[in-house]
Amino acid sequence: MNGRERILALLNGGRPDTLPLMPITMMFAADLLEIPYRRYATDYRTLVEGQMRTAEQFDFDYVSCISDPARETADCGGIIQYYDNQPPAIDESQALLADKSALVSLTIPDPHGGGRMHDRVQAAALFKERAGSSKLIEGWIEGPCALAADLRGINTLMLDFFDDPGFVRDLFAFAVEVALRFARAQVAAGADIIGVGDAAASLAGPRFYEEYIFPAEKKLIDGLHDLGTRVRLHICGDTRPILKNISKLGCAIVDLDWMIPIHQARREMGTGQVVLGNVDPVRVLRNGTPETVTAAIAECHRQAGKAYIVGAGCEVTRDTPKENLRALTAYAREHEP
Amino acid sequence: MPDLSKLSEAILKGDVKTAVEITKEALAAKVDPQEILDKYMIPAMDEVGRKFECNELFVPELLLTARVMKSALELVRPLLAASGAEPAGRVVIGTVKGDLHDIGKNLVASMLEGGGFEVTDLGVDVSPEKFVESAKSKNANLIAMSALLTTTMPSMKSVIAELNKQGVRGQVKVIIGGAPVTQQYADEIGADGYSDNANGAVGLARTLIKK
Repeated sequence: MNGRERILALLNGGRPDTLPLMPITMMFAADLLEIPYRRYATDYRTLVEGQMRTAEQFDFDYVSCISDPARETADCGGIIQYYDNQPPAIDESQALLADKSALVSLTIPDPHGGGRMHDRVQAAALFKERAGSSKLIEGWIEGPCALAADLRGINTLMLDFFDDPGFVRDLFAFAVEVALRFARAQVAAGADIIGVGDAAASLAGPRFYEEYIFPAEKKLIDGLHDLGTRVRLHICGDTRPILKNISKLGCAIVDLDWMIPIHQARREMGTGQVVLGNVDPVRVLRNGTPETVTAAIAECHRQAGKAYIVGAGCEVTRDTPKENLRALTAYAREHEP
Repeated sequence: MPDLSKLSEAILKGDVKTAVEITKEALAAKVDPQEILDKYMIPAMDEVGRKFECNELFVPELLLTARVMKSALELVRPLLAASGAEPAGRVVIGTVKGDLHDIGKNLVASMLEGGGFEVTDLGVDVSPEKFVESAKSKNANLIAMSALLTTTMPSMKSVIAELNKQGVRGQVKVIIGGAPVTQQYADEIGADGYSDNANGAVGLARTLIKK
């Protein structure tokens, strides 16, 4: 089986030959090309080259359009801070929606309009050309809570839950529209699966997750399914209090960050939910040895059972020793689900 | 004389209006501001911190209670300063150079303030020189640094190097935190402490300042 077939076999309820392998790499991939991260995040050809080289060198089963959370916000008109050799970041002190009333005049950016979203759509298309059917191609979008936080400022958004629930709902509705339009363009360009990054969702707690974030995520994920694509949900941080609701979203893959005991996730989400993770990217994958990486991923696999994809809890950091990443690959290739 | 236990309750509930009203009434009734802070405000924020650590409260609630605490503190603090009362410690806090992520830093700053510390928040993208200059000018006994990226973590080491360079390392304790930061890293760079959560940072600050 090739990588694409392997992942799809698992997601379609079949039997892959080995465990699928889908660690998130961004700065690690740029470093492999020996280029500054700014180029990786702003030139789709470089991103595609970095992902292809990483996937080939470490036998990953997929390639991804992920680079940073600021693409949608940039095209909405937000202020983005660019750095030579780290991801672009959103400057919250100049948040686009510091004034809430600006939401009504905000328009959904055109993902083919020549901006940062367009660059990602072009990455999906080039992946299709280069990876064809050998690797699964992953598009990427910001989830509703993450994009709302990007536009409004995360600190302010957290207080908006108390101060102006109606605004939060309107903002999430806008974010879902942006996300669906962006995803549609990436799917049309060649993405097989859409990664949804909704990092801020783990901060809000179960009450606000259930009342505001879950309905918006559900609407987004149902919309993605209507596009005929699959969904990988990636929420950084401690999602334990919201795992049960996450399992109701219908995602093909749910990423688990490193602090979540997989057995607990399994208990909350059931045996059918495909989970991905969750070796600690810093303490184990970067700071450990091939032996400790192997032991950690074996324990993840043991707790996860069959519906499982090998990966780290979050992004593989740029200075991760290659032999440690190879240990992750070796484990995946030597084991069946 | 107002029922000051209601001030603690108002902080825990995130009720700014009641907290401010009770604080004003207490001050008008000549209750010692230090007593208001020590017996009612700080214990309330300690309880918030405990609940946050136990996953009973989350970031929105913590920010809300911190906002209430701040409103009440604004009434009490000038009187404390006028009486010459010393804070639990003086902290300079910021997100390190090249890093714009601030929610973790803000949570720690709020909890330290709620714990009776005088906090100078330098914001984000703070250079080592600015950390050290602020610590000196504020007569701080603690620097607290945050980083969310592995790429910006090395700036923490630069701050400690700058403290050494300016000959003031012995006068200020250094604590660090943030998603990629570990105790091992704190040890490697010679920081005095590390915490993986806001409540832990307050306990750590109290312990280090007592040393």
